[in-house]
Amino acid sequence: MNYTFTLRTVFPYLGGLVAAAEMTLTLSVLAILISLVIGAAVAVMRRSRLRVVRFAGAAYVEVMRNTPLLVTLYIVYFAAPAIGIRLSSFTAALLGLSLNAAGYMAEIIRAGLIAVPGGQFEAATAQGMTMGQMFRHIIFPQVFRTIYAPLGNQFIAVILASSLASAVAVEEVTSWMETVGANSFRFFETFVVAAVVYVVLCQTINLARLQIGRMLFRQPEARR
Amino acid sequence: MSDAPILELADVVKRFGSRTILDGISLSVAPREIVCIVGPSGTGKSTLLRCVNGLEDIQGGEIRFEQTRVEARAKSIKAVRMRIGMIFQQFNLYPHLTALQNVMLAPVVVHGEDRKIVEERARALFEKVRLSPRINAYPAQLSGGEQQRVAIARALAANPHLLMFDEATSALDPETVGDVLAVMRDLAVEGRTMLVVTHEIRFAADVGTRMVFMDQGKIVEDANPREMLAHPKTERARQFFSSIRG
Repeated sequence: MNYTFTLRTVFPYLGGLVAAAEMTLTLSVLAILISLVIGAAVAVMRRSRLRVVRFAGAAYVEVMRNTPLLVTLYIVYFAAPAIGIRLSSFTAALLGLSLNAAGYMAEIIRAGLIAVPGGQFEAATAQGMTMGQMFRHIIFPQVFRTIYAPLGNQFIAVILASSLASAVAVEEVTSWMETVGANSFRFFETFVVAAVVYVVLCQTINLARLQIGRMLFRQPEARR
Repeated sequence: MSDAPILELADVVKRFGSRTILDGISLSVAPREIVCIVGPSGTGKSTLLRCVNGLEDIQGGEIRFEQTRVEARAKSIKAVRMRIGMIFQQFNLYPHLTALQNVMLAPVVVHGEDRKIVEERARALFEKVRLSPRINAYPAQLSGGEQQRVAIARALAANPHLLMFDEATSALDPETVGDVLAVMRDLAVEGRTMLVVTHEIRFAADVGTRMVFMDQGKIVEDANPREMLAHPKTERARQFFSSIRG
């Protein structure tokens, strides 16, 4: 046990790290946005008047939550070509990550939907709004205010889950870590650097979330 | 009242499962009438209003609003709702929008009107409901009475042909009830057509042009309010009016 921790050994590889961090950030932010859209649709489906639609929504959530992300990624990247769907590793990772995260997003958004009083739906309906107008102008703004904090957890979970994209050959932070570790034999240093990069990325996205929240939700806390 | 009716209900039946809430309601409302619907709780007064704008579907009979058949699930329902203003017991203001935004939203989004014109009209409405200083407040910053007056302004903003009040003062503390009733009185004087579910018998007697007494999903009496209060024709109505006068 006499390993000398010398960060300097990693310095030659830092150029690649910047590109890798950018890839992690791009992949995560896109996956967050896409999974929010899919999650919102699935959450609304789960409150449909039609049983088939409710069932489809519930089935989606259960399938995605009960499947390891790694398996989803393998299916999208390695198995899908067998039925003629050939995706680049980035597209495959983005798709797998988004589909998986949407299962969790749907449940969070569903909780927010339940918290909106029935009178809000009624007032909007009575004013002649279509479903789309109602969700856009009345329901989702209130939902997002309610779930803004738990959403933050999920955002971070997506960033950390993006590390699995290395398994389908996306050159992000974890794959940088593996490559550099193997080439330099300085595993301890590269692991620590990767960990720090993840902390910084998560904090960046969380701070951005908080800042956007301050701009979006200027109204005083509602009395319930 | 020689005008064609604005609203007509013919033998309307509403059931929730096996429970019958409205049991053959027939009612015709002419323009500028102020029909006050009174009666014990649980007799379907609110449900009646909710059927008129299709918040609830009906299981029998027919509802017609300005010649359009009201069908809760049909596409035509949107046009009906756009011409009916509804005021709820719990106000149901949109908490994430200011008072002004609450009033402006539907005219801009649903009716597709020009934002500038709508804002001008909205400001005039705040004047009318005596809330001009509170125009930029959020609902949570307003008292119950103020919220309900914003809700009235919101309903008026779409230039409705019929106003429906669903126990508009029941959730208010006694002090602010008067402010809301005063606004409703102004609307009556303007000649608005109103369908008012209320427990405020005094208001109904003063302002209403007609009083409808409901019990167990049926219209029991339908008469001039003062007449009905002075000489209820049925024992059920007699009991009800004497009990609420205490």
